[in-house]
Amino acid sequence: MKRVSNGWRFLTIAAVMALMGIAILVQIFRVQGSPEVAGVIDQGNMVWKDFYPPRGEIYDRNGNLLAGNKTVYEIDLDLTANPDLPTVKLALQMSGIDLNEVNYRISQEPATAKFITLADFVPADKTDILINLQKKAHGDPSGKNLDAIYFKAHFARSYPENDLASNVLGFVAQDNHGYMGVEEKYDNILAGIPVRLLVPADPRRVTEYPNIPPGQTIILTIDREIQASIEQILDQALTSTGAASGTIVVMDPLTGDVLAMSSTPRMNLNDYQSISTIFPGETPFNRAISQAYEPGSVLKILTMSGALDSNTVQPDTVFFDPGYIVVGGNRIEDWNGLPWGYQDMTGCLANSLNVCLAHVSTLMGNDLFYSYMQRFGLGHATGIDLAQETSGHLKLPGDSDWYPVDLGTNAFGQGVSATPIQMVMAASALANDGKMVYPHVLYAQIQDGKQIDTKTQVVGTPISASTAHTITNMLANALETESSGALIPGYRIAGKTGTAQIPLPTGGYDAVNINASFIGWGPVDDPRFIVYVWLEKPQSNKAASVVAAPIFKQVVEKLIVLMNIPPDAIRLQMAGR
Amino acid sequence: MNNVTQIVQKVHQAPWRVQRQWVVLFLLGLVIIAMVAGVYLNITVRATLAGREVQMLLNPSLINPYPDSQPNSIATNQRINSELEMQLADLTSVESMRKRAEAMGYQDASPDDMIFVAVPGYVEPSSVDLSNPGSSHTAAPIILPEYTESWFDYFLNQQTASPSSGGQP
Repeated sequence: MKRVSNGWRFLTIAAVMALMGIAILVQIFRVQGSPEVAGVIDQGNMVWKDFYPPRGEIYDRNGNLLAGNKTVYEIDLDLTANPDLPTVKLALQMSGIDLNEVNYRISQEPATAKFITLADFVPADKTDILINLQKKAHGDPSGKNLDAIYFKAHFARSYPENDLASNVLGFVAQDNHGYMGVEEKYDNILAGIPVRLLVPADPRRVTEYPNIPPGQTIILTIDREIQASIEQILDQALTSTGAASGTIVVMDPLTGDVLAMSSTPRMNLNDYQSISTIFPGETPFNRAISQAYEPGSVLKILTMSGALDSNTVQPDTVFFDPGYIVVGGNRIEDWNGLPWGYQDMTGCLANSLNVCLAHVSTLMGNDLFYSYMQRFGLGHATGIDLAQETSGHLKLPGDSDWYPVDLGTNAFGQGVSATPIQMVMAASALANDGKMVYPHVLYAQIQDGKQIDTKTQVVGTPISASTAHTITNMLANALETESSGALIPGYRIAGKTGTAQIPLPTGGYDAVNINASFIGWGPVDDPRFIVYVWLEKPQSNKAASVVAAPIFKQVVEKLIVLMNIPPDAIRLQMAGR
Repeated sequence: MNNVTQIVQKVHQAPWRVQRQWVVLFLLGLVIIAMVAGVYLNITVRATLAGREVQMLLNPSLINPYPDSQPNSIATNQRINSELEMQLADLTSVESMRKRAEAMGYQDASPDDMIFVAVPGYVEPSSVDLSNPGSSHTAAPIILPEYTESWFDYFLNQQTASPSSGGQP
């Protein structure tokens, strides 16, 4: 009897538990099936999210940061919280935020707006002040608090070196796009593009979040220390010579790595809004790549290289210079208008004789001369990885603007235009066993955490290695013969000055102003650098040997120290061990 | 035959045995369902919590009056890192370093100041390398496999992983 009574107890417990289970199930289905809950689930199923991937950083070749990212804030106002607008504006003003911009933004919003952006790209220091004010005003019994203000942090470009290498770097505007220089050229790989996406709100579906790749970091061939030095030298040169502008380029002739590049003016990249003031009108952002000019006598090195390579002349070929030559019916004179008598080819270069070089080019003839000029890349952009490069102009026989006299004048750099980087690329063949290298500023890029280095590219071999050695030695001898201001004790350097007249838009040449240039490389037997100096319209003196050659010397003296280049004697002694 | 008859007779004589068997069976089923539901609930909760944590980390745009009170998302950490990098870059910029060097009495070296000494075995510093150390491992999944694999895979992995993991105190 006792066991029978236990039986109904068990049954009762089982029934109660079963009922509870059924009740739970019914409740689950009822809750999930109710229209309110279904609405909430559907509403929260997908949400809009803003993604701000950071822009890739830019480093110099030694790992120094040239362009990074700093935090700035977007300041928003929730109008549904009934904020006291005068109090908000007062707080913004106290934080140093421009109220004119705030008022403009408010005026642009529709009357039905519930959430408005008061300011954007507000620096952290100003935001901190506003946050502190908000905290102090929190819970103000009068209702004049700042609780309706919200802050959204995001990145903005920042340049810790301010104007250093500004001509190379370019800048990033508030639209997160790069302009000029590296920032524009590599915008597609540097930019982490902000996106607004619909993503699932369900935490269990977090794996469906898209992968927003950050911008890739890049390393430049620029050496920060060399860059700073040449900028300092350039600034001093402009002051001392009174030149209208200046440009200096330093490149490794074996690899094409641009070690430094600067032109005037430069700008603080953190204040890019001032660009229209600093670069008025059509002022080039980077003259080294964007301003072609008639380089003058520095181009003689290419003429002589072509003549030597084609066996038109030899270094010891003697030419009698009467002080003038007639080419295409036009009389061409030397720079001083005087006869120079018998000169060998080294003498022609040392004394920068226009008549001699015009004679050489006429000996070569149109086909050969222009073939060599084209092989050296004149008339074509180098393709350097910087935005806004121009190609210069090389007139060719048959062109409507070409005249027979051009064969003579082009030989000494008149009637032909080139950018400094074109001249540097062409001269790299002379310094690098005849191999002309592609100039570039990208040293490497970081992709998925791995560094991918840029490889050296030879873009052509316009002359043979023996010709390159010959012309280099001729130029080194020429510098030594003329006791050039570019000479550096202990180091053998090859180089050439260029004093060029400036063509006028109306035709003819400026009777007063000149362009002063110098191109050189060294050490002659193992070139580590090629340097190009260009001063536009120097006022202190009208000879490149006086104004440009000393600047070249200053640059090389810095390079010797910064690149640890021992004097020739020590280097050869060490190499012989 | 007798045994069967005896059993049938006993069952007929004690019907509570049948009832108890049903109750036990029912409770057994309930326990199994509860266990499965419990495990499912446990896994789901853990997956949801982990997902929520990931969501917080991925939160790209914190809008909050008091940013200090927010847990650091990946974006926040990126911003902090960038800020620190910028501070470091400012401190080591050419201008800052030059000022500090000049204040300490240093001056620019000229070629005449250079003394070159041959050091046997000296190798010039190699070029800059900013790649991540062990960058080949950066593709590791963020979410543990326990949250994405099937039951079968889970038990299989447990079985295959447990014996080899022993051996060290």
